Amino acid sequence: MRKRLGVILGLLIAVVLLAATAQAGTRGTKVANVTLAGWSSGPDEDALLNQVINVFNKTHPSIHAQFTVINGDYPTAMTARFAAHTPPDVFYVDSSVAGAWAQQGVLQPLNSFIKSSKYDTSAFFPSLLGAFTVGKSIYGFPKDWSPLALEINKGMLGQAGGKAPKTWAQLQSVAQTMANKNVVPGGKPICLSPDWARMLAFVYQAGGSLTNITSPAAAAAVNFYVGLMNKGLATTPDKLGSGWCGEALGKGKAAMIMEGNWLLPFMKSTYPSVQYGIFPMVKDKTGGNLAFTVSYSMAKDTSNKAAAWTLLSWLTSRQGQTIWMSKGLALPSRKDVKAIGGRQAFLSAAPYAHGWGFGNPHFASAYTVMNNDLTAVIAGSKSVAAMLADIASALKG
Amino acid sequence: MATASQAAPALRSSMLGVRLREAGWGYGFVAVPIVVFGLFFIYPFGYALYISFFHWGILGKQGGAEGTFNYSAVLHDPIFHIALKNIAEYTIGVVPLEMALGLSLALVINQKIRGRNFVRSAFYFPSIASSVAITTIALYIFNSDGLFNRIIGSHTPWFHNAGTVLWAIVGLNAWTTSGTVMLYYLAGLQAISTDVYEAAALDNTSAWRTFWKITFPLLRPAHFFVLVVFGIGALKLFDQAFIVGGGSGGPNNSTQTPVLYIYRDAFSNFDFGKAAAAGIVLFVIIFVLTLVQRMTVGRQEAA
Repeated sequence: MRKRLGVILGLLIAVVLLAATAQAGTRGTKVANVTLAGWSSGPDEDALLNQVINVFNKTHPSIHAQFTVINGDYPTAMTARFAAHTPPDVFYVDSSVAGAWAQQGVLQPLNSFIKSSKYDTSAFFPSLLGAFTVGKSIYGFPKDWSPLALEINKGMLGQAGGKAPKTWAQLQSVAQTMANKNVVPGGKPICLSPDWARMLAFVYQAGGSLTNITSPAAAAAVNFYVGLMNKGLATTPDKLGSGWCGEALGKGKAAMIMEGNWLLPFMKSTYPSVQYGIFPMVKDKTGGNLAFTVSYSMAKDTSNKAAAWTLLSWLTSRQGQTIWMSKGLALPSRKDVKAIGGRQAFLSAAPYAHGWGFGNPHFASAYTVMNNDLTAVIAGSKSVAAMLADIASALKG
Repeated sequence: MATASQAAPALRSSMLGVRLREAGWGYGFVAVPIVVFGLFFIYPFGYALYISFFHWGILGKQGGAEGTFNYSAVLHDPIFHIALKNIAEYTIGVVPLEMALGLSLALVINQKIRGRNFVRSAFYFPSIASSVAITTIALYIFNSDGLFNRIIGSHTPWFHNAGTVLWAIVGLNAWTTSGTVMLYYLAGLQAISTDVYEAAALDNTSAWRTFWKITFPLLRPAHFFVLVVFGIGALKLFDQAFIVGGGSGGPNNSTQTPVLYIYRDAFSNFDFGKAAAAGIVLFVIIFVLTLVQRMTVGRQEAA
């Protein structure tokens, strides 16, 4: 018995020693290890990102970048890492939390790096870069983005005249035609999420903005959006037996929905037989859209800022982003990188799109208030004015 | 004899050694859980109390005010009031339902019926399944065109309607936890001496009367235990509310619970000081309620 214990102990010591020497070996070659972290958006995207990183590692022999997927609730998992002072060097930041993270002091402002390496930031769409800018400090470069577009079931649109709506009035009249002809049996012409991440686009179309949310334009947009539901032309996805509007489109329970680029892979994998067209978002007084974007940002708590900057700036460079866009999984955040075909309806929104998150440190918490109040407004238990006042105060923190 | 009396002092001293050694072992065994308890309960509790008096962000203490401002912010927050109202409604709804279901199941299982072990396992099964998985599946079953609505011929989205969602969670949790409550009641039932039932049988007492006059009062320790443990559990509702409302407490704050409120303050608003203050407030509420229960329902146990 004692002999066997001795053998096991010996083996254990050998393993520990081996591991230690192996680690010392990698350190000896003076390669800077940089960790890159994000969430997984499916096997296709993970494979593509690893392909991008392989190119980086080959062209930058002194740096070794490695991608790790953080599973589960990403912002919560990252908060724990920030608090423990062990964040990854470079990581994804969703535009909705960028302002709050910047205010908490966990993101590295990139201005000094931009200046010293003469990095050209003018290639990024300004609204996307703006989502990661607080004051004059830039806290990340957008890696890709998606606005909203109007997706319509082709067969159902054909029965309603075949012309995609371009304005609020046309949206309502096409929906009315669909309702009159019962084009969507068992469903509704439009699926509308009870979500400010959709409705806020209408606020911008009406000439309003989040910073001036108590304006008459904002109230008009809410009244139009909720009015479509009250008129029986639209409803929320849960009433259509769906988790979100994309599912309602797939199930044939809605003819028109407003979703982003993320709809395309979903429809392809889940409802490949459904024929739908992608059209630009409707307009009212002006064009208005939201830009959902994610940045590559650097941790303030990293010991290897130079290498992290090299990785971050290369990933968002023209070269890095061109590889990232090669499969058309996302839209380029740079004007000098081309998107693959069929994305025109999305790309046309770039001049009107407002970065979701707006660099406001209180945005993530205000967003919860916004949606809770919106469900109350839809249910008729809260007035539009009271909701807008709530939001204005929540945005102030 | 002489040898025995000579050996006595030696024996006594060795007895002392044994007792010391035993005490040493005893404290040794107790020390481990005490250290674990201190490390994972006492220390975090003290730390939470400490940070509840400051502005506390991801990276620790921030400048600005110190004192009880987090407590007044929590106590004056209308959302926290909604959370308290929701959790009160939920607890008052779910605990009696759990007790009634669990007791009924225990009474059935306690009979000499065939396949008793199978039935007992079947009733207990929901308690061991993951609450996240159960809630996710329930979302589909109670969808507007889900199984449940097909059966009753309705289109109510039970988990998406501000008026029904809390009661849907009550029903769901009463079902999942009734198996555990059943086990406690079963233990209680089996602790009741058969003598009293024999006496009742001799007096020709009806089954109904036997239950209300003998079984139910003698189950008092089980009632108290279930009420306290499951009452506290209900006040700490989080996972089902988190999944149903997507973490937002929606629709219209109808799934807002105190623990969800704490979670959102900490991990969405990064206001760890206020989250800690809300946690302390919740602790005080639960502590006081448990004391009240102990003084009323648990009177005999305390004596």
